[in-house]
Amino acid sequence: MPNTIAINQAATTATRPTATRPTATKPTTTNPLGLIPGILLLAIVGYAGKFIEQSIARYGKAHHHVLPNIEYVLWAILIGLLIANTIGVPELFRRGVATYEFWLKTGIVLLGARFILGDIAKLGGIALLLVFVEIALGLAFMTYLGKAFNLKPKLVSLLAVGSSICGVSAIIAAQGAIEAEEEDSSFAIAAILALGAISLFVFPLVGHALHLSDRAYGVWTGLAVDNTAETAAAGALYSDAAGKVAVLVKTCRNAMIGFVVLGYAIYWASKGQATGIQNKAAFLWTKFPKFVLGFLLISALASVGFFSKPGLLAIGNLSRWAFLLTFAGVGLRTNFRDLSKQGIRPFLVGAIGEVVIALVTLGLVFTADRLFHL
Amino acid sequence: MPAPARRLSLDTWAVLLSLTLALLVRIGILKVVPW
Repeated sequence: MPNTIAINQAATTATRPTATRPTATKPTTTNPLGLIPGILLLAIVGYAGKFIEQSIARYGKAHHHVLPNIEYVLWAILIGLLIANTIGVPELFRRGVATYEFWLKTGIVLLGARFILGDIAKLGGIALLLVFVEIALGLAFMTYLGKAFNLKPKLVSLLAVGSSICGVSAIIAAQGAIEAEEEDSSFAIAAILALGAISLFVFPLVGHALHLSDRAYGVWTGLAVDNTAETAAAGALYSDAAGKVAVLVKTCRNAMIGFVVLGYAIYWASKGQATGIQNKAAFLWTKFPKFVLGFLLISALASVGFFSKPGLLAIGNLSRWAFLLTFAGVGLRTNFRDLSKQGIRPFLVGAIGEVVIALVTLGLVFTADRLFHL
Repeated sequence: MPAPARRLSLDTWAVLLSLTLALLVRIGILKVVPW
């Protein structure tokens, strides 16, 4: 049953985020104690970011200066980037640092407590509509662009999936399903991650320049920034409320991953370049991001009053701590030297595609804001 | 050949940890989480 093998391989790889970043090394041992140094490093870098934010605020208050409030998110990412791109992350810490994606998903599930189901239905409904438009435009435009730049067809598919849905996880899921070469997926991942790193700094600037509301900015970020960790960070850099909305919209995008990957798998199988999918329902379930269900469950429990008010506050703060570890990981796992090794053409295609998608989604958000009052 | 052991996915672990933490909050073991 070669198709089952392909699916299982994809599923296994998708659950192993340690291999997704170009700097990552595959784990050689499954001993959980080996994760501790890296997780401690995430905590130290994240907390250092929080400490700097609070220290600046305290200094400004004590000396009656009005200082810009730079969120801990940016400090944590900058400290991480500084370490990763100067001394580098020692081998001892790498496995633990790679858990940042686990903390991201934990943070998202816990974030469900800060949403009432009605909010999710309203904003999620509009977001889903925009997500459909964004995915269709993204896939079509990236495919056209990749062909225009003469990239390999499967690399074009990976770039299209990565930039229209959800970055690294989508690329890894698609790589297994369409049987693309590992080199192609590392090209696509590098392009998506490099652009994600740039969007962290550009999106908040554009948002402030256009005086976007927290909700409009959150929806835009959720639609246009590709990797979920970078989406959460770019949202939180604007405001706490924008971060919440960005994660919700991105979660809607992530939920679509199975359908798009299935479409590509069928397309490549019809060309005889990938194994056919026999059980489509099982395939969709394999690819469906389960943390979305956890997010909805916690939100449902919060909506029916399962948690007290202080309890909701406590769960919200647990979510913040999980995100703090994630943001530290975003910086620590981004190595510009490794990203730059991947070649200019995939990056160019990604960059042009991302700019166009960002502009189009900004237009969509403006229109939706007028029509539905986001 | 023995069937390979099924491993829980990263998502499932994240959901399990989150639900455990939420339950600890609900039953009052984790009363206050400072930020």
